[in-house]
Amino acid sequence: MMGRRLLTIPAAAIAVGFGLITLAGLLIGNDLGVLSTLVNYFAVRQITDILLQLVVITVAVTVLIGLLNLITVHFGRIRQRKGGWGYSVVLLISTLGVIILTILERANVLRGSPSITTILLENVQVSIESALAGLLLFALVYGAFRTLRHRLSGWGVLFTLALLIILVAALPLPGFQLLSNVRDWLMNVPVSAGARGILLGIALATVVAGVRVLTGQDRSYRE
Amino acid sequence: MDSSTQLLTIMILLLALVVGIVATQFARRRRGGFDFREIQAYTSMPMLVGAAIEANRPLHLSPGSAGLAGNSTLLALASAELFFQVSQRSAISNVSPILTVSDSTAIPLGHDTLRRAYQSRNLVERYRRGNVRWYPSGTRSLAFAAALTATMGDDNVGANFMVGSFGPELALIADAAYRRNQPLIAASDQLEGQAVAFAVSDSPLIGEEIFAAGAYLGNESPQVGSVIAQDVLRWLLIAAIVIAAVLSFSKGG
Repeated sequence: MMGRRLLTIPAAAIAVGFGLITLAGLLIGNDLGVLSTLVNYFAVRQITDILLQLVVITVAVTVLIGLLNLITVHFGRIRQRKGGWGYSVVLLISTLGVIILTILERANVLRGSPSITTILLENVQVSIESALAGLLLFALVYGAFRTLRHRLSGWGVLFTLALLIILVAALPLPGFQLLSNVRDWLMNVPVSAGARGILLGIALATVVAGVRVLTGQDRSYRE
Repeated sequence: MDSSTQLLTIMILLLALVVGIVATQFARRRRGGFDFREIQAYTSMPMLVGAAIEANRPLHLSPGSAGLAGNSTLLALASAELFFQVSQRSAISNVSPILTVSDSTAIPLGHDTLRRAYQSRNLVERYRRGNVRWYPSGTRSLAFAAALTATMGDDNVGANFMVGSFGPELALIADAAYRRNQPLIAASDQLEGQAVAFAVSDSPLIGEEIFAAGAYLGNESPQVGSVIAQDVLRWLLIAAIVIAAVLSFSKGG
């Protein structure tokens, strides 16, 4: 336990050090006096570029890790005959099939335009996702209905009222000018203000969390 | 980025650093802890975990499309902190939490989060590697949402914690949770996802509340210090906006 804790110290030092170097390389330009001189003298920008290239390579490797994870998890489900294991069989066959098809296409064994993998993507993946997108509307309206039923409060009523005004005012029908004006005001004033408030709050929290990570106070550095 | 923006960014970071350090020391030395305002989602989380343990059902955790090495890196870390707190509480259960991710960079983070949660309870042998699952998001995250709805049914999960980066597809997940009578706590950094989360989750988290999980559930001084620093910076920002508005108004008048 003690040894593991000791190992976290150099790991944290490396992470914090590289984090600060990358921050300096990305943030400090050529017009900031002494800071710019220091950044140029120690070639911080060049080091930052190398670090960012390493990040890109690492991200590419994680896709392979993901693929391995997908295969391992679903192979385990089939082996243990867990609920819905039949879908895992379909998933594994599809995954391996697409990998083989892509390899054959890249090796110029399978030719044709559009390629089979493009046809599969456009006719299977995109079609299914479009069908799901169609279901979204019903899920959203039903969700709003449940909100009003379960959380019968002033805020719930206000939420549903605003939703109804925006949905009805979006209909291309004559005589809805007043509602359309109300919708525009809602979107431009309270909705816009609320959205900016939420985004500013998230931005502030992100800055504080970023500083905590850069100063080595995050949990992952301590345990 | 011009030099004035660079300078302003450095000043904001330094201010956050100073306020964070002072707030952490303040939190460390203060006895008796802090009384934060109540956030219903954090109040109900331990009860949801307890109910899932009693029912011998796993928890379902997901940061959505948040991952490392992008704009959502810190959000992914904040979600990981929440999942750590929840997983630590459920470590005594016979069934491990299931963590689903759509960004492949979140896979190592997910493994690390669950492993550390079990390790902190000296129950690392109960940690199951197969419970961190990657479902590629597709073009519009709808494939990911569909995979999650299947997981929720196949694994008969006890409660869902969807905290991270989600779009409107969250409505499909929430609908599946409702049909299976599974509680849902949701929050997103995307405005569309946040709106849906507010409408459909039993106890929504809003905006920066995602980042307060460590302080509310763990009560450790760096996390408490972060929340205090956030509040101090928020008041400073409000003051800056009001002063800028007054100055603009007086110039215009």
